[in-house]
Amino acid sequence: MKAFSRNQPRLFNSFNRAARQAATFAVMLALVANTLIVGVTNAEAQTARMSEEQRIVHVLNRLGFGARPGDVERVKAMGVERYIEGQLQPDAIADAAVDAKLRRLPALTMTTAELYAKFPAPGQLLRQLQRRGELPADLAAMMQNRDNQNGAMNNQNAPAANGAMTTPEAATGGAARGDEAADKKDYRQAIREYMRENDLQPPAAITAQLQASRIIRAAHSERQLQEVMVDFWTNHFNIFANKGADKWLLPAYDRDTIRPHTFGKFRELLQATAQSPAMLFYLDNFQSVSPNARGGNRRQMLEGMRRNRTGDQPGMMRERNPLRRNRGLRGNMGNVDEQRAAQVNPNSPQGAMGQGQMTQQRMPQAQRRQRGINENYARELMELHTLGVDGGYTQKDIVEVARCFTGWTILDPRGAAARTGLIDTERAGTFVFNARTHDDGEKIVLGHKIPAGGGINDGLKVLDILARHSSTAKFIATKLSRRFVADEPSPALVARVADAFTKSDGDIRQTLRAIFASPEFNAPENYRAKIKTPFEYAVSAIRAFGGETNGGPAIHQRIAKMGEPLYGYQAPTGYPDKAEAWVNTGALLERLNYALALTGNRIPNTRVDLARFGASGNAGNNLTDADKRRMIDQFSNLLLRGDVSEKTKAALLRQLNSPQTTTSATAITQNETSEMDVAMLPQPEGRGRRNREATSPPVGDLSMMSRVAALITGSPEFQRQ
Amino acid sequence: MGINRRFFLRSGAVAVAGLGFAGSLPSFLGRAALAQNGAIASGGRRKTLIAIFQRGAVDGLNMVVPHGEAAYYGMRPTLAIAQPRGVVTAGAAADTAVDLDGFFGLHPSLRMLKPLWDEKRFGIVHAAGSPDATRSHFDAQDYMESATPGVKSTQDGWLNRLLQHDPKDKQSPFRAVSMTQNTPRTLQGRAPALAISNLNDFTIRAGNASANVQGGFESIYEQTVGDTLSGTGRETFEAVNYLKRVNPAQYKPENGAQYPRGRFGDSLLQIAQLIKAGVGLEIAFTDIGGWDTHINQGAARGQLALRLAELGAGINALVTDLGAARMNDVVVLTMSEFGRTARENGTRGTDHGHANAMFVIGGAARGGRVHGQWPGLKSEQLYEGRDLALTTDFRDVFGEVAQKHLGSRNLTKIFPGYAANAAKFRGVLG
Repeated sequence: MKAFSRNQPRLFNSFNRAARQAATFAVMLALVANTLIVGVTNAEAQTARMSEEQRIVHVLNRLGFGARPGDVERVKAMGVERYIEGQLQPDAIADAAVDAKLRRLPALTMTTAELYAKFPAPGQLLRQLQRRGELPADLAAMMQNRDNQNGAMNNQNAPAANGAMTTPEAATGGAARGDEAADKKDYRQAIREYMRENDLQPPAAITAQLQASRIIRAAHSERQLQEVMVDFWTNHFNIFANKGADKWLLPAYDRDTIRPHTFGKFRELLQATAQSPAMLFYLDNFQSVSPNARGGNRRQMLEGMRRNRTGDQPGMMRERNPLRRNRGLRGNMGNVDEQRAAQVNPNSPQGAMGQGQMTQQRMPQAQRRQRGINENYARELMELHTLGVDGGYTQKDIVEVARCFTGWTILDPRGAAARTGLIDTERAGTFVFNARTHDDGEKIVLGHKIPAGGGINDGLKVLDILARHSSTAKFIATKLSRRFVADEPSPALVARVADAFTKSDGDIRQTLRAIFASPEFNAPENYRAKIKTPFEYAVSAIRAFGGETNGGPAIHQRIAKMGEPLYGYQAPTGYPDKAEAWVNTGALLERLNYALALTGNRIPNTRVDLARFGASGNAGNNLTDADKRRMIDQFSNLLLRGDVSEKTKAALLRQLNSPQTTTSATAITQNETSEMDVAMLPQPEGRGRRNREATSPPVGDLSMMSRVAALITGSPEFQRQ
Repeated sequence: MGINRRFFLRSGAVAVAGLGFAGSLPSFLGRAALAQNGAIASGGRRKTLIAIFQRGAVDGLNMVVPHGEAAYYGMRPTLAIAQPRGVVTAGAAADTAVDLDGFFGLHPSLRMLKPLWDEKRFGIVHAAGSPDATRSHFDAQDYMESATPGVKSTQDGWLNRLLQHDPKDKQSPFRAVSMTQNTPRTLQGRAPALAISNLNDFTIRAGNASANVQGGFESIYEQTVGDTLSGTGRETFEAVNYLKRVNPAQYKPENGAQYPRGRFGDSLLQIAQLIKAGVGLEIAFTDIGGWDTHINQGAARGQLALRLAELGAGINALVTDLGAARMNDVVVLTMSEFGRTARENGTRGTDHGHANAMFVIGGAARGGRVHGQWPGLKSEQLYEGRDLALTTDFRDVFGEVAQKHLGSRNLTKIFPGYAANAAKFRGVLG
């Protein structure tokens, strides 16, 4: 019965589609049919809605990272509709406590250039110091020593290669090997020391701070829906932190690209990502140049910038809206027309071929050669950001779109020119349109003609076409419905949401309203029907206990082990948003161990205070059955509003009553006793990562209360939202 | 309707009971025992692939040296590995290539693998790799792990697709194990795959209360029947309990095998352990880094030599530990995202190149030969005038291993957009 009524709209939809191509009469008939169906679905859903309390829990779960103690009552008091509407207007929600926590993460507010200066790559730092003649003696000696050793090895090889006898020294490979390993360690140590003394930090600390900010905000921000949408868009426009320069580019991406646009027009968000250095780098568009480019290499571009700075003929366009200075504030992405008007003069004279400092510098291979057009961004823009894989584009469209985006690049992506003073430092790692490398011929994109000579307008027009395409509406509607409603949203829901998207010209806030008001969102079968992602699971548990976290490496590492390191998904698809991606043996074990670590307060800098909920604050080894039952009820109410079956409760009680057997797992306890100091932020995430697990405090005797709390946190019910 | 996993669980247990091993084996192994096709050889033995990724792009021209190629010595004045001279006596610390076939030789750090070559259990594919021109580590690793060169949006890795499209006994939680912190790209996807950096971690961690707490979780997960979570829950506890009996902490390698110290050696040791424990391991993955030798690469000694020594010692220990009989069901396959420039650069190193060499090791390998075509190293023979040209698409090697060793019959699904078929196989397996 149920399955049948669910299938019906799909049948009628396809009928509807066919009818549109037929006679007017048929179209009208189809419209009638459609109205009928919508009527039926609504009526059916209205008869079965969630209870008021369920709806509040549902809203707190889906529009946020779960309820904290007291949240349900708070929302009940203000009314759930008001709560939802308030969440759609995050700017009006005060968030002082989170702002204070974020102040301890300086990377978040730095410009890209400041990040390059404060978090240099060690190799780059050394070369730079050497160039400036500022290399400290001990480091210089180390470097010298290292070079000598390697050189000596090569020299030993040279005669051997020519057929000479092996020298005795060469035969003692074992000893040399040990020395080299030791030297390498000293060398790294020396670099670390130098960085500490000079108040510098390793680049991995940037990612760690950014990850921390996401965890802090998800756990503690009052702007819960904002955080859910940041997570959604960050994943939709995914970027992998460990791809080259992206580490340094990501703070600006989160701050200036994603956050200001979470609820705005999709078209503006799309452009913000298209012009974000992080995306330009991640999907290689910064290297994409017209095959007929009139010699627009990097050096010439930088030369052009220099002349630009000194008031000469501008060689390229600077981004009109330098909002990268506008830290953390929701600046507008800049007026599109203004950008269009601010066209570069493609006929401006080429930069003089003067021998700039850049020529002496070592440049990464890829930048030394002219590689021509790069299709990566064009492909993913259509497949993953807008139309969807079956959205109706061809390989020819990919090439044409790629041509449109030639010249959309990053000024000084790795900050090398800024370091040598060739350009203003604050402009390192920002978007720039380089007219010289742009393909200025005519293009045809999805049937739209884009005339020759359009310059930066070509790309902007492509964004117009894509943002307003019906496939995009459907694709975004599907992904949002999947996120907020169910793994397999019904075609009827997707169609309605897509309609809201189209009618509002891609207004994200309006689109979300359509979802939250839909019968499907409020249908009982979708209550606690989605499996939480590891990030959602980890944060929702902290929130449920009213816990505290600084988002540091220890908690992030837990999330990573469960399968969702933030900014750690390599492919541009982003993490999948379906249960099957998260439910497997290894991941589930990590979830259960997370529950144990959290309730046992074994995650450094993340704390829950169970005693505040417990009538029985003692370790609880002499509890009566009634005490234990009370404890079970208490935590089932706290975590799941009592949505725990009597059978499960009985099983829990049986477990609490069984004698605590000592395990034979001595290896495990040994593993966990090698404890270290609590990792404080900001902390490098790089080399020591493998041992991060060892930074958890030892597993002592777990109190009865911790055990009950862990068992319910790890239960199938709490894995869902 | 379809048969769900629970159905398999029950019928598997019953069938195994009929065969007389009930009680001693967890049910996922019962299911494994039931599957008679593909990866299970007729004798009930399971086939295992051990994939080793050399991240950072190893210099294939110094790993497997074309010592018969004059151009090689011309292009590498300080880095070249000298031509082999006569028979290398045991224990001699010769710095020359270890001759394989009169034209190719192994880097001297790999000499411990020569006996395997002589026993025809070690074959090499040279000038293999990705047809994509990228010289970015990131992209090239991505392409090799997804096995879709040029297509970044492929969501899953090829080893995961292999599991997905080969539904036989997918129930063993140890069917695919990566001995790494996170699941590598190549094993990401719909099919379950474990990432375990250390087998000792695969347990409920609650100190003295571990057994008790695990019992609690088990009984809670038993209460919820018929959904993905409870199914996965049950399998998880079975796996944990089983591994506990295997007792990874007490493992002693056999046949005097000595694994190199460090993460790479440890990961191979634990893979050997899983294979011996018979937990249903079909695909094992691990990686080893440090190959990006732009500066002071070294020749017979130095940076690269040290890395190769670790690689060779690890593989040698694994093969020794498993013993010849077990190695009949195991294939070790090495890969690296691209090769390095044929010419040495100005800093006694090599830069990012193109084609590379891959190892295929195991009882089933057609060893003792270098497979594929040698494109030559003369200037005009080089790819873009600088790198070893490609003559074998890595998917032809992957595909052959998938089909012949693991019994995959769905190469088009595993390698989308590529016409993988037996005609293109290089004959790396017998």
